[in-house]
Amino acid sequence: MIVADHVTFQYAESSEPALRDISLSIDDGDFVGITGTSGAGKSTLAMALNGIVPHEWKGDFYGSVKIDGMDTVEHQTEDFCRKIGEVFQDIDSQMVASVVEDEILFGLENFGVPHGEIKIRLEKVLEDLGIPDLRKREISSLSGGQKQKVAIAAILALEPRILVLDEPTGELDPESSREIFGLLRKLNEEKGITIVIIEQKIKLLCEYVKRLIVLDKGALAFDGVPGEIISHIETFKTLGINVPPVAELSYLLRQSGVYDGGITLTVQEAEKMVREVLHDPV
Amino acid sequence: MIRFEHVSFGYPNGETTIEDLSFHIQKGDFVALIGANGAGKSTISRLCNGLLRPLSGRVYLDGQDTLITPTSQLAKKAGFLFQNPDRQICENTVEAEIAFSMKVQGWPADKIRERVAAALETFDLQGDWFPFNRSRGERQRIALAGVLACEPELLILDEPTTGLDYLECIRIMDHIKMLNLEKKITVLMVSHDMELVQDYAGRVLVLSGGKLLGDGPVKEIMKNEPLLRQARVLPAQIPSLALAFGDRFADVFTIREMYEAICREKGRGICRAGREKE
Repeated sequence: MIVADHVTFQYAESSEPALRDISLSIDDGDFVGITGTSGAGKSTLAMALNGIVPHEWKGDFYGSVKIDGMDTVEHQTEDFCRKIGEVFQDIDSQMVASVVEDEILFGLENFGVPHGEIKIRLEKVLEDLGIPDLRKREISSLSGGQKQKVAIAAILALEPRILVLDEPTGELDPESSREIFGLLRKLNEEKGITIVIIEQKIKLLCEYVKRLIVLDKGALAFDGVPGEIISHIETFKTLGINVPPVAELSYLLRQSGVYDGGITLTVQEAEKMVREVLHDPV
Repeated sequence: MIRFEHVSFGYPNGETTIEDLSFHIQKGDFVALIGANGAGKSTISRLCNGLLRPLSGRVYLDGQDTLITPTSQLAKKAGFLFQNPDRQICENTVEAEIAFSMKVQGWPADKIRERVAAALETFDLQGDWFPFNRSRGERQRIALAGVLACEPELLILDEPTTGLDYLECIRIMDHIKMLNLEKKITVLMVSHDMELVQDYAGRVLVLSGGKLLGDGPVKEIMKNEPLLRQARVLPAQIPSLALAFGDRFADVFTIREMYEAICREKGRGICRAGREKE
């Protein structure tokens, strides 16, 4: 469990805080999406949740973040890195090896995992992510989606309980992006891994996450179930965050009084809504 | 503006191969290039400006054969915005970054100063910023400002809105659309975002495995769900929703059109401010 209590952080070279008085808690087993405009503080929040801020970034840090009760300021990042794994926005900067298997082995060896267990974990994580065929491949020959899976595999091999991902689908096509989100859902549902994902792709967030956190200029603007908070469409637009087109359609129909159900987030939900409004058989 | 004549291309490691590809983009067109990762979109965009040269066939940029024309000459006609601005930005201040390409192309100093000042204003940037610690959206704006400052006739955008938030995306795309309409700049945009494609492009080329699967007006392509699925492209939400109702919403393309069509079916007037006229 991660608890942030009135967290404010200002980078040393900046004139304004990147995070402003953030209080939230992330429970074990949560699947949380964090979104907001550029510069809203999404990456800074993710780094504050795993202790990288303030340890690796100079600046003024106020408030506290506790990971399983351990204060991130009082402990060093190595105390948390076994609990929380992070997949960076730029995966190329994360990769250290040239072959997939070596990339996964790197973390395991650095963590001092016993020799006999290394092979078991390597094979298991490749299997879990559906990439055993990539084991001997050169990383430079992989597609964006494959690379992303390898980056996630290398972190998962370390068996973290919490996985923080910073825009993991940034350079992927929609199908590959959905594959990654599907994989994260599976890890969350079947293995109980807590997922915290920073993402701009609102359609994906609405479809997959259990909870959505919206940041605006470093402060918490919304925190709740996607279907509920997306109904504040006008505020989302003011904040500069788009909503799925089908959500806007349901909002307009609700405004006009022809529909009184919830905000629709997917095409399937919207089809059901339109048939209901037109009294069509489903 | 761009003509591909039976173009084939392959990377030495066997990655993405373009096979016998032919198409023509007219001056002033706004064309979207869509397809899954590995379909050949970025390869085609790099073949357009001579960053890559065809193994067989010919690519002509404004009549110039890219096989025999120096890249520096092609670069004067074609501005290229990379998906990742960090592959583009090379100077330590925003001002120097915007001026960089103009200097390389030999623009006079007073013209460079004038255009840098205009670009800073248009893209809401500060000349003394250190580009590398700005946000992704700001870095993308810096890169685009540098490209557009050279007044290219063709603008090639490789996933221009990756990492940008909605407002930044609208702002950048509206500016590009304005240049397309008013200055007749030809735009070739690689994108995975079908909402963006339907809002801005006039024509769409659909790629899969280095081959052209489809080529047509945006409305036609967006409603061709089998074609999009074949190319592993996720259709835009509203056209996809409309298709679920067969021909009933055949002309529906946008949120507003869908909303109005539903209101018409309900036999009601159209609500514009939350109240409905019976």
